[in-house]
Amino acid sequence: MGLSSTRAAELLARDGPNALSPPKQTPEIIKFLKQMVGGFSILLWIGAFLCWIAYGIQYSNNMSSSLDSVYLGAVLVLVVILTGIFAYYQEAKSTNIMSSFSKMIPQQALVIRDSEKKILPAEQLVVGDIVEIKGGDQIPADIRVLSCQGCRVDNSSLTGESEPQSRSSEFTHENPLETKNICFYSTTCLEGTATGMVINTGDRTVIGHIASLASGVGNEKTPIAIEIEHFVHIVAGVAISIGVLFFIIAVSMKYHVLDSIIFLIGIIVANVPEGLLATVTVTLSLTAKRMAKKNCLVKNLEAVETLGSTSIICSDKTGTLTQNRMTVAHLWFDHQIFMADTSENQSNQVFDQSSGTWASLSKVITLCNRAEFKPGQESVPIMKKVVVGDASETALLKFSEVILGDVMQIRKRNRKVAEIPFNSTNKFQLSIHETEDPGDRRFLLVMKGAPERILERCSTIMVHGQEQPLDESAAQAFHTAYMELGGLGERVLGFCHLYLPADKFPETYVFDTDAMNFPTSNLCFVGLLSMIDPPRSTVPDAVTKCRGAGIKVIMVTGDHPITAKAIAKSVGIISANSETVEDIANRLNIAVEQVNKWDAKAAVVTGMELKDMSPDQLDEILATYSEIVFARTSPQQKLIIVEGCQRQDAVVAVTGDGVNDSPALKKADIGIAMGIAGSDAAKNAADMVLLDDNFASIVTGVEEGRLIFDNLKKTIAYTLTKNIAELCPFLIYIIVGLPLPIGTITILFIDLGTDIIPSIALAYEKAESDIMNRKPRHKKKDRLVNMPLAVYSYLHIGLMQALGAFLVYFTVYAQEGFLPSSLINLRVEWEKDDVNDLEDSYGQEWTRYQRQYLEWTGYTAFFVGIMVQQIADLIIRKTRRNSIFQQGLFRNKVIWVGIASQIIIALILCYGLGSVTALSFTTLRPQYWFVAVPHAILIWVYDEMRKLFIRLYPGSWWDKNMYY
Amino acid sequence: MVIQKEKKSCGQVVEEWKEFVWNPRTHQFMGRTGTSWAFILLFYLVFYGFLTAMFSLTMWVMLQTVSDHTPKYQDRLATPGLMIRPKTENLDVIVNVSDTESWDQHVQKLNKFLEPYNDSIQAQKNDVCRPGRYYEQPDNGVLNYPKRACQFNRTQLGNCSGIGDPTHYGYSTGQPCVFIKMNRVINFYAGANQSMNVTCAGKRPQHHRNKGKPTPEDGRDEDAENLGNFVMFPANGNIDLMYFPYYGKKFHVNYTQPLVAVKFLNVTPNVEVNVECRINAANIATDDERDKFAGRVAFKLRINKT
Repeated sequence: MGLSSTRAAELLARDGPNALSPPKQTPEIIKFLKQMVGGFSILLWIGAFLCWIAYGIQYSNNMSSSLDSVYLGAVLVLVVILTGIFAYYQEAKSTNIMSSFSKMIPQQALVIRDSEKKILPAEQLVVGDIVEIKGGDQIPADIRVLSCQGCRVDNSSLTGESEPQSRSSEFTHENPLETKNICFYSTTCLEGTATGMVINTGDRTVIGHIASLASGVGNEKTPIAIEIEHFVHIVAGVAISIGVLFFIIAVSMKYHVLDSIIFLIGIIVANVPEGLLATVTVTLSLTAKRMAKKNCLVKNLEAVETLGSTSIICSDKTGTLTQNRMTVAHLWFDHQIFMADTSENQSNQVFDQSSGTWASLSKVITLCNRAEFKPGQESVPIMKKVVVGDASETALLKFSEVILGDVMQIRKRNRKVAEIPFNSTNKFQLSIHETEDPGDRRFLLVMKGAPERILERCSTIMVHGQEQPLDESAAQAFHTAYMELGGLGERVLGFCHLYLPADKFPETYVFDTDAMNFPTSNLCFVGLLSMIDPPRSTVPDAVTKCRGAGIKVIMVTGDHPITAKAIAKSVGIISANSETVEDIANRLNIAVEQVNKWDAKAAVVTGMELKDMSPDQLDEILATYSEIVFARTSPQQKLIIVEGCQRQDAVVAVTGDGVNDSPALKKADIGIAMGIAGSDAAKNAADMVLLDDNFASIVTGVEEGRLIFDNLKKTIAYTLTKNIAELCPFLIYIIVGLPLPIGTITILFIDLGTDIIPSIALAYEKAESDIMNRKPRHKKKDRLVNMPLAVYSYLHIGLMQALGAFLVYFTVYAQEGFLPSSLINLRVEWEKDDVNDLEDSYGQEWTRYQRQYLEWTGYTAFFVGIMVQQIADLIIRKTRRNSIFQQGLFRNKVIWVGIASQIIIALILCYGLGSVTALSFTTLRPQYWFVAVPHAILIWVYDEMRKLFIRLYPGSWWDKNMYY
Repeated sequence: MVIQKEKKSCGQVVEEWKEFVWNPRTHQFMGRTGTSWAFILLFYLVFYGFLTAMFSLTMWVMLQTVSDHTPKYQDRLATPGLMIRPKTENLDVIVNVSDTESWDQHVQKLNKFLEPYNDSIQAQKNDVCRPGRYYEQPDNGVLNYPKRACQFNRTQLGNCSGIGDPTHYGYSTGQPCVFIKMNRVINFYAGANQSMNVTCAGKRPQHHRNKGKPTPEDGRDEDAENLGNFVMFPANGNIDLMYFPYYGKKFHVNYTQPLVAVKFLNVTPNVEVNVECRINAANIATDDERDKFAGRVAFKLRINKT
């Protein structure tokens, strides 16, 4: 039977392995090249080529022209390549985290080949293989069932139907998705066994089609990518327009075209924050690491921020908001409803356990239960133990184990003599036991099942341990309790028992479960017990936080509306005092149509209703209600909901685990896959993976995302500031003709040397205020780089910095003999190689080299001037609104590492490399390091003043123009 | 999310711009109302006024640290440079004997340069000093200025003085005079109390030569042969100590810089000759690798004769 190994090998060679082909990856080289030309790189390439062109022109005029511009071009290219490699490396690193994660334990399949049963990796299955499946297995391929016994499969990841589906070998429907004789790849077999023939493998399976559809949905730009692009455009625009403007000015001032090109390069280099994009990458990956620690694994670095700007979260219910296990929530006995502890460890069961009814009820719960702990888990906490049995029996088992202790022992003491398992026609489960009391020879019959069916079989009810006749009022009490518990969305079970009289049923009596030779009516009703998949204990807080943060949480679930609504209420997605239209109608006792729907804040929409809705109606619902639950939805409808939210201009986060959630995950601004319950396809499609499947982790992610946005703003403001201090020298040089205050190479040492670590350090800054108390940022209005930021950085602090740096420059020149007034229009003479007796303000004469050296000292001085003021800039950028003293000067230690790094790098450049003339640094007198300090202090004081006025007069003209 | 680039028609763009420039609804010009503009202009007026004041103040404080007569630091000028006159482009002294125009500009420059050296002017303004020793004029606690300067008479330049010279410093005959001067450095005691002089030799630019101290043998190369004989004024190219120290433009008002004139007598015509002159003084190093003009000067000489 089965295929022969050789035939199977042939087919395997023809069809390829039975695995979903991973989504198409961009080739590494393309990714690398993209880094090389992205962002500012283009500007630097232009700069480099201009350098070489300038050299070419020089060379054709004069063979012995200096190689300076060739070197500069080479340095610029080097900068581009290095930052490119760096960014690429960072990207690759974060991708690697993900790919290591997605490597799953290979799936095994039981195959019949060469008439032998073999266990093979599922990848090696081919069409025509005969496979055997039993409960708990994942279906290894699309399979046509040949024979089966009580086989039921969970197709929820494919069709969204959460009910188990029975399978049989009969062909029942034209549509492969509907017919009963096909099991689908990646779905699971819940119970029973089946033998089937593989009909499709790999990408040709139904799930493969869906997965390839999902990868067809294009990857959209993340909000932060848009912001950075916007920022690059602004800076590049400034650079090019100033560059071209001064090129024209230079040419019309009768400068040589060649010189003008050199100026242009200088202006571009001064304007481009070369290190910034690398810094942004590092900052994002730092945050990604921090989020990974909090169980949010970010696949795409930029998604870090996207989460922060999220305004709607469409969350699954099961497993994300809830614990994904049935738990006893309420009990009803003695005409009273008791609450059980539904927290994760259930350690705190406080209901009244003294009543005799409870003793009976607990016995029924314990005995009428087929679930068992898997052996060998003695040291595992009860709640974590693995149980063989269905969800509600598991819940009951654990419930009784927690309260009563060793259930297995109790069952042993009360030996089971007969049993009728639950079936859908009886809707009850029954078992008969000997009692543990040796003096009591009676058998105990225990029964549980659907409450109304149980009640039908009872004639008495136990109250306070006493059997009482089940009269009208008791029945009424039962119905009230049943309705109430049912209204909470809980699954309710009824329990009853009966002590069989010893005279009729002696010890030797043989119970026959088929003939039912024992009473199953006139039993004694003991109590009700209701179960629910309870919310995770952290979720209500997280939802409240979301509310406070202006994020709308929408629940999307395949569950029953009542259950969905109950959970939504218990976690706060529907808040305590808000009502749905139906609630209002109930309360006022009027028809649903008569209710003014503006009165309702909440809405529960079912998949059926959604199906009949036009996009406009959906939009209206999304806009009208602040609290929405979608119940009984299919995963396909999730996509519709996501699109609806996006039409509201919202940034939408979507959670999902199933394969057919993947289109919605892709479509969402940020798709969040579940790490534990999620399928590979979902994880592939998602931008983020939630390692603990917990909704609360999303909220911490949001917090991190918002923080990173704020901190990036600070980083960019910090970095942009010095651009003016770097740019002014060139402008002054061109217009006033001073000897060049700062060289291009020196600028690169600031941008890529002293400034790098401080700008990364800002990523470690704590939030200024509770960032979860403000609205999500508006995609189009709250830009990363806005007008006030640019203006304040460029025209306020930047200008102060330029002045401070010029002060150091003028000091150096004046103390060496060139007073400021003598420098004006000195440029031409200064730079002539054949002028070796240039007179200074005191009548001394300087050779070209002596002047050159002084010029380098000037560069160094200007560099140090900027560096010193960048320290002040770094400190003021710690906050945007609060005073530095509110924020704490020493709370962020990394800032001080940054400041130390700045100083150390500058010291090394100045004193360590002072003799390397190629770098144009010289040994600077120590006192020049302090010349710019007053300006640095001024910057600090000015910024404190700015913040003070912003805090004092919120919303004022000052606030509008000065808050970035 | 799919970013839908909304295609705007040209008209819409113009319309948006128009509204940006002047929005009649909100009375906004370039996105601001009149009062807002007034505020912002006022703010920047005050802000930049303050910055200017602040900068001026710090500059003023800084200038207080600088003295009027001596610069605070002179570390860069430890070795004075040498320079030639006439000052020519790339220091190429090219003389087309038959082409008056080629050297006439040099002659004009030299005339102007040497005018303050005229004996009459020197006698009128400057002292006759004792040769062979520094002419020190210490302040002794009280500022003592203007300082006196020593005479350097044009006649000391002999055949190169250009006085009553029909050959125009020898340029018209192909025997040009080149004047060597040493850069002024305040309070520099050149020669360290020993006599010093300028010597010249024909030699190739340094990168053609072996590195290290120049030796007399270097003079024997091609350039030296092409250079031929020359005479120097004052004799031996001496520079007297009495012209030092220099006290600075402000105090040493009539300071006259000592010169050494070199008259090249028979340069091989139509050949480019590299000449290097250096000062031989005890405290002036002339072997700085980076500064090619420290204590020396190199120039090209070419006499074109037809």
